[in-house]
Amino acid sequence: MIEFDHVTRTYGAKTAVSDLTLAIPRGELFALLGPNGAGKTTTIRMLVGLLHPSRGAVRVCGHDLVKDPRAAHLHLGYVPDEPTLYDKLTGREFLWFIADMFGMPQRLATDRIDREVDHFELGEFADDLAESYSLGMKQRLVFAASLLHDPDVLVLDEPMVGLDPRSVRIVKDLLAARTREGMTVFMSTHTLAMAEEMADRVGIMVRGQLRFLGTIAELREQMALESTTLEQLYLEVTSGRGGEP
Amino acid sequence: MSGRAPLPDAVRLLSFEDESRLFVKLRATLAWETIRSMLSDARLRLSLVVLLSGLFWAALYGLFVEGFSFLDALHAEVISLLFNTFFASLMVMLVFSTGILVYTGMYCSTEARLLLTLPVRAEAIHAHKFREAMWFSSWGFVLLGSPMLTAYGVVRHAAWPYYVVMLPLMISFVFIPASVGSIICTTLVAWMPRLRLHALTIGVTVACVAALGLGWSMFSQARVDSMSAAWFERTFARLSVTEQKLFPSWWLSMGLIEAARTERDGSMMAASLFESLKFLALLIANALALQHLAGWVARIAYRKGYSQLTGEIPARRRRPLRWFDRALGHVGFATGRPLRLLLVKDFRLFRRDISQWSQFAIFFGLLGLYFLNLRAFNYHNAYASMIGYLNLAVVGLILSTFTTRFVYPMISLEGRRFWILGLLPLHRDQIVWSKFLFSFVGSLGPCCILVLLSDCMLGISWPLIAQHELCCVMLCMGLSGIAVGLGARMPDLREASPSKISSGFGGTLSLVISSLFIMATVMAAAVPTHLFLLSHTLGPSVVSSHGILAWAGGQWGSIAGALVVVGLGLTATVVPLTLGLRAFRRLEA
Repeated sequence: MIEFDHVTRTYGAKTAVSDLTLAIPRGELFALLGPNGAGKTTTIRMLVGLLHPSRGAVRVCGHDLVKDPRAAHLHLGYVPDEPTLYDKLTGREFLWFIADMFGMPQRLATDRIDREVDHFELGEFADDLAESYSLGMKQRLVFAASLLHDPDVLVLDEPMVGLDPRSVRIVKDLLAARTREGMTVFMSTHTLAMAEEMADRVGIMVRGQLRFLGTIAELREQMALESTTLEQLYLEVTSGRGGEP
Repeated sequence: MSGRAPLPDAVRLLSFEDESRLFVKLRATLAWETIRSMLSDARLRLSLVVLLSGLFWAALYGLFVEGFSFLDALHAEVISLLFNTFFASLMVMLVFSTGILVYTGMYCSTEARLLLTLPVRAEAIHAHKFREAMWFSSWGFVLLGSPMLTAYGVVRHAAWPYYVVMLPLMISFVFIPASVGSIICTTLVAWMPRLRLHALTIGVTVACVAALGLGWSMFSQARVDSMSAAWFERTFARLSVTEQKLFPSWWLSMGLIEAARTERDGSMMAASLFESLKFLALLIANALALQHLAGWVARIAYRKGYSQLTGEIPARRRRPLRWFDRALGHVGFATGRPLRLLLVKDFRLFRRDISQWSQFAIFFGLLGLYFLNLRAFNYHNAYASMIGYLNLAVVGLILSTFTTRFVYPMISLEGRRFWILGLLPLHRDQIVWSKFLFSFVGSLGPCCILVLLSDCMLGISWPLIAQHELCCVMLCMGLSGIAVGLGARMPDLREASPSKISSGFGGTLSLVISSLFIMATVMAAAVPTHLFLLSHTLGPSVVSSHGILAWAGGQWGSIAGALVVVGLGLTATVVPLTLGLRAFRRLEA
């Protein structure tokens, strides 16, 4: 579903992502971890087509994000770290705009909008202008918009920022259900507990390089630290003492 | 490489037309919601905008009717030259303004980031943002051009077809420079990202130097023979550079002139109208071709350019004025240090916010340019004094737009940093005072220098210059007091955008009070001075030898005027600041 094929991205003389090769199959929830400045945001931006790789290729469902971005975007849903909405549109109008952009037929769009409004408990404020929303409400609306077209791949950049505990639970349950149905999730996060709870595999990125790729059990095995938490393992890897790929 | 997955159920790629239709629908919904919220939340502002625009339009219309009547009777051949010069200048300005607006909308907005992650064509996003940029860059042209062209039609007794083709001619013309600006912008960002700042700098510099050169060549020797027949001839010869047949501005001028032509013979009229329609067709064809080209460039360059720009590391900023910050922070009594540190912070933010200082530099630079050219005209003493006061009012009005736009929101913006400021050993009053001092001291230098420049160029006497400078100091103080005081009295702590804060009720009120204060101050100083000068130049009989006018036109009248100016300045400073300080002390962040 997602392929990073020897992807390198440089900013002038600085290499933000170095020779990243990664394949994430259908139905997997993948969590990308790493300290600030590790290259996670650059990786996500390349995955959603906002940044072009300096070398290599990024593909979603076989569609190259540079050569055929529109086809790739049809398979993609994206929840950015800062939700972007139109202040002067209501939540429902925003959902309709997204549904229309994906070319969804009216009837299906109505059903899907109702479904997501219901899932994310947006009913109370769906007809208010977005300018009156709190950060959490905005984030829930963006989640709803990203799932309207039932994407094959969902990309999440720090998805839990601004969400209250109930919304976090809703999102976690939804992600678990959708991945069971075959949706692939690529998530960048600093919330290690969530990665530990949800992710099938994790990648730990340090200074543009993927230091570790595998399950948490494999990480424990590799680090020879059987009963430690993911936090301790993560700190070990990112401190540079272990976990070379 | 793995095979391509089939499309998810029930989604499809839209055609370009469908995408455009959706963007038009989006724009209409947003516009309607904006108008609706303005009607419910910002009636004062909306009414003021409509009223002032109407007044502005009517005043311009009257001015143009007078001007065209004069020219039509004496120098009808000049009109074509005037149109060409006017439209050629606008053409250059539209290229720059649309280019900058396209850059902001397509590369720096959060909306662009959202749209680029949707299955939408790059050229459809471009068309959407281009329409927005064109609207913002050309509404001024319509506001300025429509009274002028209506007045021209009325003076020339043009038939109805002139009014019918006027708007299509203007709109099709606007598309041409706007498309050129868009093409330049997308090309520069995609293929010469490092060059874009240099290109902009070079472009603006070349345009400024050309304008300066033209202005200088026209007015440098004007003291000797300004407004004489020879001067006009020389000036027209220089301006004839704008009469190039390949310029869209020429096509527009000719289209308008031909459409307004009144012939007794019906077939001649039809021929003129046909000529005008040919120019309209030429403009439309070029506008469409350039639009198409702009869309094509966006298709191949937009995503690439966006990626280039997103991937750029901001250049390490040099801090050449760090010594100044240090000096300001350390010099003086220790008790005043927190206040000075707040000033240093605000000064740094101002320096690093290009939108603030560039607008300040452009507006005050243009005023300076105009003042430098004042020597070209020979004014009588009383007339020179009047021009001097008008210039003072202009300086005040421009300053009031800056205090409303940039100083008024400062307290509201501090609200978001209250957790920092609230923990510091600072009294809340010091925050308000620091904003006032920043605005007052910061505006004092440029405004006083501009007023001095204007007075020197007009050859005004030193006592009058002193009075103008006194007015200027009071204006700077009062306008700063109004903006900071009202900003503290009516803060909007939830809003992060300064432009939205300043365009709310408080900002509009601040602008209205500032305008009234400027008018009152300038009138209080100007009326006695003007009467005094008139009585000395033309004799007391002109002013009336008895009564209040004679008193006002005497020395005591001038002194009273100066005292009123000081009183107004102090009132405009003390009252809003007191209200603001009280409210800010009680504020719960």
